[in-house]
Amino acid sequence: MTKKMTSKFVLQDIYKRFGDKSVLEGVDLNVFTGESLVIIGGSGTGKSVLLKCLLGLIPIDKGSLEMDGREITQETSLQHEERLQDIGVMFQGSALFDSLKVWENVAFRLINAQHMDRKRAKEIALQKLAAVGLTEKVGELSPAEISGGMQRRVALARAIATQPHVLFFDEPTSGLDPIFSSVINELIRNCVKELGATAITITHDMSSARRIGDRIAMLYGGKIIWCGKAEDIDNCDNPYVQQFIHGQAKGPIQLETDARHVA
Amino acid sequence: MVWVLSSIGRVFIEFLASTGRLILFLANSLVQGLQPPYYFRQMLRQFWEIGYLSLPVVGLTAFFTGMVLALQSYTGFSRFNAEGAIASVVALSMTRELGPVLAGLMISGRIGGAMAAEIGTMRVTEQLDALITLSTNPQKYLIAPRLLAGVTMLPLLVLVADVIGIFGGYIVSIYRLDFNPAIYMKQTFDFIQMGDVTSGLIKAAVFGFIITSMGCYHGFNSKGGAQGVGKATTYAVVSSSILILVANYFLTALLF
Repeated sequence: MTKKMTSKFVLQDIYKRFGDKSVLEGVDLNVFTGESLVIIGGSGTGKSVLLKCLLGLIPIDKGSLEMDGREITQETSLQHEERLQDIGVMFQGSALFDSLKVWENVAFRLINAQHMDRKRAKEIALQKLAAVGLTEKVGELSPAEISGGMQRRVALARAIATQPHVLFFDEPTSGLDPIFSSVINELIRNCVKELGATAITITHDMSSARRIGDRIAMLYGGKIIWCGKAEDIDNCDNPYVQQFIHGQAKGPIQLETDARHVA
Repeated sequence: MVWVLSSIGRVFIEFLASTGRLILFLANSLVQGLQPPYYFRQMLRQFWEIGYLSLPVVGLTAFFTGMVLALQSYTGFSRFNAEGAIASVVALSMTRELGPVLAGLMISGRIGGAMAAEIGTMRVTEQLDALITLSTNPQKYLIAPRLLAGVTMLPLLVLVADVIGIFGGYIVSIYRLDFNPAIYMKQTFDFIQMGDVTSGLIKAAVFGFIITSMGCYHGFNSKGGAQGVGKATTYAVVSSSILILVANYFLTALLF
């Protein structure tokens, strides 16, 4: 975390509804520049929706969303495009483009948005692939020819290819075995540290949250019900957090339908 | 009575809303496509997939259609000693009608469905979101090149289909119906005019736009995983096939 503790993102009273289903019901959150914040929460609690709202992929219904002190809910498409140029995203299912080779996926933004020469872009892509432990040979394969764990690494390499100052990770370890999860966690941690980036990670994997996060926030019932330092989460007295981090079947968290009534 | 009227009204309003969404989608894609940067690799890939890779399907369809047309024409025309008209009937039917319509319907199944499935899969696997976060407009990168390829490749395919279809008719007429090759060729070219060919090519360009529009629109707006992609594919093929037949009538009336 930076010494000044300036805010990178400020979310105030964010609401989002899909049809008659309310997903976010007044989210308040402050993400400081240079910190790694992990948002935890059960399946279907709106973590990915919140991430997409931050990215501007889903418009919010109500509230204020600031990045670097600038309101981003009313930005034009050009401003949106410019803002995204400094953001790297690793999607839940990797979201690699099947029609392109692995290295072309990594170099995608360099070639298509920054119009870099393909040869130079390939060199950078191969460097990034090496940084996540993948060889040049893998770069020539198509995404369908590599394992799920390797696809996550490629997605990470793509996210960091342009050295962005903001990184988003959506369930980076879901579906991976514990060893691969650990490798991905380490890679994310190292990449964020090397870039000095502000990182927001969405996960329900507690070992991942503890490993990656400086701070952890828990989303439940459409709100952030707890937010604090990663090392404090085990000692927090919030029963919802305690039930979640210990994976207990019994506790205040019931069925998803009850999740809308948390105070 | 009120229930019936409200149901009809709902369907009508939904139809208008869908049409509006489609028009906005296409207008936005075309505007995006006209502005630089241009994704030439994407364009070439679409030219290759829609144009070159469709040649076998279109060629075979045209070849057998030309052959059947010659046989059927002979059956009818021989009853009133008008066998001499077979060559011109095959040529005119292929260039004005069967070439563009059959090629359009075949490409609708091959390309429209594949486009909807590919873009739909990209939607449900967050690849379209990934494109946006990688500072690339999906409509500019994915849709505009496909629309361009559809409009330019279909006429070329139809031109090939016309030639192959006429050749199919020639083969049957010469080797099965014992026509004189030189006379058959002369009758083919004596009656065919440039307008017959160009009207078919104009139809083909419109059909190409319809096929790629439907494939892209339904794929782009698909939701709900594999089932959603399946539905998008079905909608793309069915809607483009119907629209081709409807547009064919109006274009024929216009260009006749």
